[in-house]
Amino acid sequence: MTPVLECVATLAGHADRVWDVKWNANGTLLASCGTDKTIRIWAKEGDNWICKSILQDGHQRTVRRIGWSPCGNMLASASFDATICVWDKKSGQFESSATLEGHENEVKSVTWSRSGAYLATCSRDKSVWVWTVDEDDDFECAGVLTAHTQDVKDVAWHPTEDILASASYDNDLKIFKEDDDEWICFATLSGHTSTVWTCAWSKDGSKLVSGSDDKTMRIWQRYDPGNMEGIPTHGEDPTWKSVCTISGFHNRPIYSVSWCHESDMIAAACGDNSISIFREDLSSGDTTQPVYEMVCKQHHAHDQDVNAVHWNPQQTGLLASCSDDTTIKLWKISGE
Amino acid sequence: MASNFSGVLQLTDLDDFIAPSQECIKPVPVKKTPRKKGLSKIQVAVDGSYMEVDTTSGKSKKLQKAEITLNDCLACSGCITSAETVLVAMQSDEELYKVLNFNKTAAEADKKIVVVSISPQARASLAAKHKQQSTEAAVALTHFFKSLGVSYVLDTTYARELALIQCAEEFIERFRSETENKNLPLLTSACPGWICYAEKTHGDMLIPHISAVKSPQQITGTLVKELVAKHCEVTPDHVYHVTVMPCYDKKLEASRQDFYNDIYSTRDVDLVLTSGEVETMLKKETRTLTELLLAVDATQSNSARPISELQAAFLDNLELLNHSGGGSGGYLDFVFKRAAKQLFGRNVDKVEYKVARNNRDFRDVTLKDEDGKVLLHFAAAYGFRSIQNLVQKMKRSKCPYHYVEVMACPSGCLNGGGQIKAEDGDREKQKEILEEVERIYDEIPATIPGNNEHAMTQLNSLKENSSKLNHTLHTQYHSIEKDDTLSLNVKW
Repeated sequence: MTPVLECVATLAGHADRVWDVKWNANGTLLASCGTDKTIRIWAKEGDNWICKSILQDGHQRTVRRIGWSPCGNMLASASFDATICVWDKKSGQFESSATLEGHENEVKSVTWSRSGAYLATCSRDKSVWVWTVDEDDDFECAGVLTAHTQDVKDVAWHPTEDILASASYDNDLKIFKEDDDEWICFATLSGHTSTVWTCAWSKDGSKLVSGSDDKTMRIWQRYDPGNMEGIPTHGEDPTWKSVCTISGFHNRPIYSVSWCHESDMIAAACGDNSISIFREDLSSGDTTQPVYEMVCKQHHAHDQDVNAVHWNPQQTGLLASCSDDTTIKLWKISGE
Repeated sequence: MASNFSGVLQLTDLDDFIAPSQECIKPVPVKKTPRKKGLSKIQVAVDGSYMEVDTTSGKSKKLQKAEITLNDCLACSGCITSAETVLVAMQSDEELYKVLNFNKTAAEADKKIVVVSISPQARASLAAKHKQQSTEAAVALTHFFKSLGVSYVLDTTYARELALIQCAEEFIERFRSETENKNLPLLTSACPGWICYAEKTHGDMLIPHISAVKSPQQITGTLVKELVAKHCEVTPDHVYHVTVMPCYDKKLEASRQDFYNDIYSTRDVDLVLTSGEVETMLKKETRTLTELLLAVDATQSNSARPISELQAAFLDNLELLNHSGGGSGGYLDFVFKRAAKQLFGRNVDKVEYKVARNNRDFRDVTLKDEDGKVLLHFAAAYGFRSIQNLVQKMKRSKCPYHYVEVMACPSGCLNGGGQIKAEDGDREKQKEILEEVERIYDEIPATIPGNNEHAMTQLNSLKENSSKLNHTLHTQYHSIEKDDTLSLNVKW
């Protein structure tokens, strides 16, 4: 039986396009945000998904992306109003506890590192910022990275190390690390022929998937110094090489990718209103040239552009998506 | 293309791809000329210029091109980085060669007197590149520029001596002030990248805190235009003043309207070259500092007459000035010591910094009384992240400092964007170069501001005339309103 994506719930509530959806670490809460400047928190009660709370008044303009802290007690939101809001659940309810200012204009993405020690943000001002919390519990800037030459669309932390990937309008991805108390760019991943909208790491962080306006996805493989394949590296730094281009499946930009750390499946959200699922075809046996096959595709997942997808980290096979059509949908992959 | 500006400036708004003539939103003033009778048409000439042709007489006239100057760019809240295109055209070694070549054929009365003022940071960078000592580099660079036709070669450390004393006085006055809002912390103003950022992003909040004292480059500029002109009995526009700086952003500083002399239509600093650009010039002339040094004696005869008021500023001085407190000028160091002495009667021999956790570019120092009560709290904030954290602290009214030495570059001015870099951009090599530049910079024994006789004489004579003092040593800043129309052409 061919696997299919089955829609198990449609969550309506946002008044305008929905830009992002993110599950918390234990998979019980789903956060969403959008043009209506609000953040909504959804949870399952009985058989139904309901909106538990609406966080508003944090931003003056569109909320573009959101990120959960690994502990699940904090939520950060990135907005076109050039600020990042940190929401804290100390009081039981999510309340705005800090506003991070510094970006010159629209903040495009925000994400917490695995350890929770760092927060990364990126903006149309072409910069990537790394933030930490100081002695007074205030967020302070630990680094401003101006490696990109254009609008930075997305940032993603490595699942185990304090390594950050960014995707940009300049068609490149960059990789950053901390070196001697300073954040630096140590790798540039070139290959896409248009804006890179999104990126996500595999479970062990050895691979990175990127989605682009050039309608393709690329798989980037990490090579450490002294690798068996003889891929040249510089100093002690690993390098990344594009080992697979997933093309021909979409005729519009790929806006979002999510790499499921349980099933190893990659979900892609596309401007052609579809969601598709890919997985490595392990039968080929050639690790230097992996082949990714499409598992299934939901052609008409939404009525308009699909802006984001995110796998539930606990309930394998449960996928959330959101769209310009103002809805959020939950999908189950069945027939596996 | 990677920008040469400091990170602070690279951040400031909008796409880099806007060339000044294309999408620039700055309105260009058009001079209206009285309407002519009859028809005329516009033709494009062979060289690409536009010619207006009168159809009845057949006469043609070249039409003026609308141009955006660097100054227009600076006054605009739009794309700072596109100013670079304008900058390259207006501030390069080509310009210096143009003037020097012009002098070769020009009538005596039209000739420009060319003065080059070299910063100690740039000197250290060039000395490190050529494996010379700081004093040797001073002599060799003096000879180099003179051999090209430059009349005087100065050291900007002299102007820094005046700046430091002025900064300390400004701080002490502010600290003692009885008014409710003393506008503390006082923030240093020598770094143009920081000033540009402050004016463009948090002008209203920050400007009252920024020191009114000019940077050493601009103090040198005022002194040179006035004293060299006086000495040579010419008007200031006949003096062409070039500085050599560790920093690209200094080009922006020199182009500020505040440093433009309306009467003589001249700038205090006509051209800013970076250490790297001077290195390019040395290569072009196939000279090394070592071989320049060997040639020095032969040219003593054509050195121009010294100017008594600038005596202590000549770069081939036997006793060069230097100030303790690091390669960014030692502002915190001197102001802290002097304030401790004058405000609390304490002698501080050495400023002991506490380095921030995770950020060696943010350091602070306190002066405490016997009970441990903080009397003075100073900080040095280098690099954009430090500036960012400082600004946010001020915004939240959680800034405990009285004085902050602010520099846009990580590690400060010796690591400036205009310094000579490792050829392959290797980080480790770059660190080694920086260490060497720091070592060479410190070779000159530190002198205490106020101990130099010439500087004190000059300062005292300036003090007799407050408007002259103000003109020579002080400047002002302008908040730049954010133009909302700029965010209309947004690309997601």
